[in-house]
Amino acid sequence: MHLLICTTVLSESLVGIDCMNLNKLQEEKYFIKTKKFLMIGQSKICVKLREENLACKSVEIVHIVKPEAPFDLKVNYRQRANDFEVTFNTSHLQKKYVKQLMHDVAYCQEKDGNNWMHVNISNTRLTIPQRKLQPDAMYEIKVRSIPHSDYYKGFWSEWSPSSHFKTPEANSAEEMNPVLLTISVTSFFSVVLLVILACALWKKRIKPIIWPSLPDHKKALEQLCKKPEKNFNVSFNPESFLDCQIHKVDDIQSRDEVENFLQDTLSPQLEESEKQGLAGSEHEPNWPSQIPIITSEIFKGELPIRSPGGNASACNPSMLPSFWAPDCREGIRSGSHVYQDLLLSSGTTDNTMLRPFPHQSGILTANPGVQGQPILSSLRQNQEEAYVTMSSFYKNQ
Amino acid sequence: MFHVSFRYIFGIPPLILVLLPVTSSNCHLKDKEGKGYKNVILVSIDELDKMLHIDSNCLKKEPNYFKKHSCADKKEAAFLNRAAYKLEQFVKMNITADFELHLLKVSQGTLKLINCTKEETVSKEPKKNDQCFLKTLLQKIKTCWNKILRGH
Repeated sequence: MHLLICTTVLSESLVGIDCMNLNKLQEEKYFIKTKKFLMIGQSKICVKLREENLACKSVEIVHIVKPEAPFDLKVNYRQRANDFEVTFNTSHLQKKYVKQLMHDVAYCQEKDGNNWMHVNISNTRLTIPQRKLQPDAMYEIKVRSIPHSDYYKGFWSEWSPSSHFKTPEANSAEEMNPVLLTISVTSFFSVVLLVILACALWKKRIKPIIWPSLPDHKKALEQLCKKPEKNFNVSFNPESFLDCQIHKVDDIQSRDEVENFLQDTLSPQLEESEKQGLAGSEHEPNWPSQIPIITSEIFKGELPIRSPGGNASACNPSMLPSFWAPDCREGIRSGSHVYQDLLLSSGTTDNTMLRPFPHQSGILTANPGVQGQPILSSLRQNQEEAYVTMSSFYKNQ
Repeated sequence: MFHVSFRYIFGIPPLILVLLPVTSSNCHLKDKEGKGYKNVILVSIDELDKMLHIDSNCLKKEPNYFKKHSCADKKEAAFLNRAAYKLEQFVKMNITADFELHLLKVSQGTLKLINCTKEETVSKEPKKNDQCFLKTLLQKIKTCWNKILRGH
């Protein structure tokens, strides 16, 4: 007696069913391998005795699918992430029909026997956190697959070959990276040092920058004026200037004009001193010897002289301070002179002293008359005041 | 008048009966969700497409066959049925064994999914190596299936 099992397969004929015989694998186990399976509709499997069908069964081939077992199972420990990366491969990734599978990853402690943990995934990569595993223990891991689509259904595949891995010890996980430790200690000490320095230098350096104090005029002046050297001899006594050449100027010489004339700053001062000077005209004869020569670089360039030229009658006494102005004319003449920077003399017409001021256009000769006296006295008074202030300052030092 | 009534009673109804099968569709689709098409037939159509090396001018010229038989509304199943039978004629093209298998899967798979009451008459056989016609036919089958699935 011969048993044959046949199944419906693709046929070259349009009508009719073709049978293919299965091969006997073992007792009660038959096997067939072919590409001719038509995976649509029912297929009939029959047990034949010679030509007679003893029994037949209709099956849907797409519902009895058993996938091939996965392979190449690997476990990788990632120290930084503190987890285990599990990867494996399956031949169904390259197949055309049964491509969608569900994978069951199972792991357990080797000494624990049958206490398997299961994880279901649809792709071929899994991450197991370290905290879920016991430290310093050996683990076994394996994986299997089952069809997971709306068309193909079936059974679990065989388990993949097991893989083994060991979890690290508990202490090693807490060990810090030596580099990280060094950096943290260094930064701690540098912070402490910064705090100490900040406290020490707070008053002297840091606070003046962050919270500067309001300037005091006396202190500011002290800072501006440098302390003279020990052997530095300063004196405003006119006798100390005997070796200096003093050149008086008598005439006005017309030259090119100078721009930027500060008429307004001078006029109120000189008007006030002019009023005072009216009463003090007797100072005039002694004036050349009494009034010292004052050169101040502060006034340099601030009081440019415009070249006068023309009739003296055009000048107004109240406008005398404005002989700095272009309105004044050459008619203003006297034995006394006024220089741009308040340099005074009583005689010479030599104007070599004006060399440091090349931009000046002219030298004025002040009128020795009434018109000139108020100016000179007021100027003299200002100079005296300046002298007094500077000398008192020097004494304070 | 008696003769006129006879004409109407015995003349027109048989005429209607004869013409009715021509207008009505005798095929209907079993797999309305298209699972069999997506998982099996479409795979084979794509494999056949890869195996057929056709120049680009092929798909521009449509053979007359498709002007007569098209995937018209409510006649999609009938078109697919006719196309499946047409595919069978190309089985003996003898390109490769795999080519033949995929052709059979498309044609017999389609016939399994469609139920027709009337058998299709086999039309004139095309030229045996008319790969351009085959490629066009496969594209038409694919388009018709997509139309059916979109409608559902």
